[in-house]
Amino acid sequence: MSDWNMNILTEWDEKICKVADKFGLDGFPISYEVCDYYDMIGNMSYHGMPTHYHHWSYGKAFERTHLLYNTGLTGLPYELIINSNPSLAYLMKENSLYLQILIMAHCMGHSDFFKNNRCFENTFPDTVVSKFRNAKKRVQKYIEDPSIGLDSVESVLDSARAIQFQINRYDQKRLSHAEIKSDYIERINNDAHGDYENFNLNKVPLEPDYDILAFIDEFGTHIEEWKKDLINIVREEALYFIPQIKTKILNEGWASFWHYKILHELDLPQEYHIPFLKSHNQVIRPHLGDINPYHLGFHLFKKIEENQGIEECFFTREIHDDVSAIRCLIDRKDCEELNLFSYSSKKKSVSIDEISDEDGWKKVKNDLINNIGMSSMPVVFIKELEHAGILVLEHEHDGRDLELSFAEEVVRHISNLWENEVRLFTIIEEDTWEI
Amino acid sequence: MSIFKDHKRHSDRSATDRSRHKKKIEYAIREGIHHIVSDESIIGQDGKKKIKIPVRGIREYRFVFGDNPFNKKVGSAPGKNIKRGQVIRKKKQGDEDQNKPGSEPGEEYYEVEITLEELSHYLFDSLDLPDLEKKKFKNIVGEKYRRSGYRKKGIRPRLDKKQTLINKIRRKKKSQISTSLDEENRFPFHQDDLKYRHIKEHPRDIANAVIFFMMDVSGSMTQSKKFMARSFFFLLYHFLRARYNNTEIVFISHTTEAREVSEDEFFTRVNSGGTFLSSALQLCQGIIQKRYHPKSWNIYMFHCSDGDNWPQDNEKSMTLSRELKLLSQLYCYVEIIPSNPDEQGFSLIDDLKMSATYAPLKDSKFKIVQLTSPDDIWPEFRRIFGGST
Repeated sequence: MSDWNMNILTEWDEKICKVADKFGLDGFPISYEVCDYYDMIGNMSYHGMPTHYHHWSYGKAFERTHLLYNTGLTGLPYELIINSNPSLAYLMKENSLYLQILIMAHCMGHSDFFKNNRCFENTFPDTVVSKFRNAKKRVQKYIEDPSIGLDSVESVLDSARAIQFQINRYDQKRLSHAEIKSDYIERINNDAHGDYENFNLNKVPLEPDYDILAFIDEFGTHIEEWKKDLINIVREEALYFIPQIKTKILNEGWASFWHYKILHELDLPQEYHIPFLKSHNQVIRPHLGDINPYHLGFHLFKKIEENQGIEECFFTREIHDDVSAIRCLIDRKDCEELNLFSYSSKKKSVSIDEISDEDGWKKVKNDLINNIGMSSMPVVFIKELEHAGILVLEHEHDGRDLELSFAEEVVRHISNLWENEVRLFTIIEEDTWEI
Repeated sequence: MSIFKDHKRHSDRSATDRSRHKKKIEYAIREGIHHIVSDESIIGQDGKKKIKIPVRGIREYRFVFGDNPFNKKVGSAPGKNIKRGQVIRKKKQGDEDQNKPGSEPGEEYYEVEITLEELSHYLFDSLDLPDLEKKKFKNIVGEKYRRSGYRKKGIRPRLDKKQTLINKIRRKKKSQISTSLDEENRFPFHQDDLKYRHIKEHPRDIANAVIFFMMDVSGSMTQSKKFMARSFFFLLYHFLRARYNNTEIVFISHTTEAREVSEDEFFTRVNSGGTFLSSALQLCQGIIQKRYHPKSWNIYMFHCSDGDNWPQDNEKSMTLSRELKLLSQLYCYVEIIPSNPDEQGFSLIDDLKMSATYAPLKDSKFKIVQLTSPDDIWPEFRRIFGGST
């Protein structure tokens, strides 16, 4: 039998909220759902979204987690919370009381982060749940439509999901072609120095377009409406999740920083102290040969608090994402302390390239930044729409080559959406390469 | 203040997506089945035993960076002594070849456990023995459904309206006797009136068939050649067992002499010596004369060899084959020529191979199949039995 019931949870929640309030945390109200491990895996497969359109990949995700859980390879995450107002969070029935308290305190941090971090400004937490529900209904409608059907819907979803994150990563509003064009016309009209003398206004797009799905939506006049709707569903979901990808380290760090602080302020029964510390250390322990975002994030906020005080911590959680935080805040001492190293795959083995000493730490730090959030995904943009309707893409090469076997499949997916030929230019081993 | 809710499970929410995923895997099994067939470990297993087959996961493609020295990853190793160039993981042999499937990033494999019987179901669904004629002394059992009486319960399409109406009238008459029911009153159908036609499975004789498995086990048949021959026969064996309830199989293995052997011996026997294809054909002819008269039996012949027949035997083999071809529904000569020179062993040049000698016999009843690698087995097999690839 578990050592808690709903009333006990409510009592502890009151205490936690009071402490959080006192510290100045300002999150969305939280709505907890208590469920068993099976439902937990189910919810995890859909990123905690209470409703989500159907796609086989979520079935795959479920099978995977379920298998790993059953073979004991992985524990379930302690917390699952979504960025919405109120924030939906899940508590697992199987957990004991001290763990539920820890998780609730942890969720306080997440909710505060969702509400206050700059990256989340345009994620519409008030309406996200109904938006997902609505999307699900539309997808279902297309599946049930006898002139469309499951196979066609799946084909579009598969293809759109392949380029889900090929999107402007800096949260800028995408301008339509007409808007960009009128801007250029104005510039040409006020062109005193002849900068735009030979400017070709008929080129499409006028500027590189990083938002492939939106481009297909805007210029694919030949594409059926239901397909465009699916494309937009996938795109909007990506826009919603990108802030979380970009702030994984800070978000988890912030939540861990606060569960630690809050639990110290609570009057925890003596017998909970040891299990609590054990769980906390397990969450924020460094992973050998890997980067644990909980660990790195916790380390960062601890360091800021020690050096610059708690106010600066709040400031950091507001203005930074992972890349900017690491760029600005990590120094040689941190790299040495965490003993960071960079490695890569050679012909016969995987071996260490750089370590965090005087010569190496800057390179290691740079490699770290390249592996964080959206930087771990290649940038591909639309270069030109040729007259015959051929879409030309280019990979923004940053020293890392594309995996060709995957790139070929993705190009096939794009061409499936675009319903015409698609070409991709990239660089492989210092030579241009066309797919 | 937060809100607490006890989650009520309305349904298993990922069930739909899981079954869709499973369908995709099944499809992948069917598509990639020849990789399984060419896997040594399943040859020689009986039908009940469960085998695990790796199925490549259904991938979700994205743009990703290749796994090479330009793509640096970062890790931490607090408290550990590390230095540049230190190897943290050795690659397995075979990983080196970057083009080979299996070295790609994010390769996922699922182990699917199925029995050979289930595998046969995937494999042989669309295949048939060609030209199965109806001959005397029927032995092969097919299945047919026949009507067999009535039942009170059943599915709607089998509702027998006539019987049902008769029942209703019968009941109406009865009730008119016992009570003084008015003729004008409505008298509806009752559940008990309903009668359904019942059908039963009837075993039905279709035809009878005997299949000759002939295999060259001479010295020139190297390990890998024998493996391919056995794989072929193994498939054939399970195909017959899965699709036809009653077929007879005669196993013959030969060098310069032929012998009828048991199933076990056939799949495991190792031998060496010279090659007279005619020896097997002669034995085959003898057995047909004694036990399987062509008037009443459908005869199928499969002969696996590497084609290195001794030249002085060619003419005799040719004559016998010509005769046997007339007796049989299908005569299939399978020649195994590994494309990898290391596996060829001592071997004749192509012009002197038996397939060249047999070439004039080739028609719809005499098939010559050449296998160059284990990957050929399945596509060729399907071709023989009328599958689409």
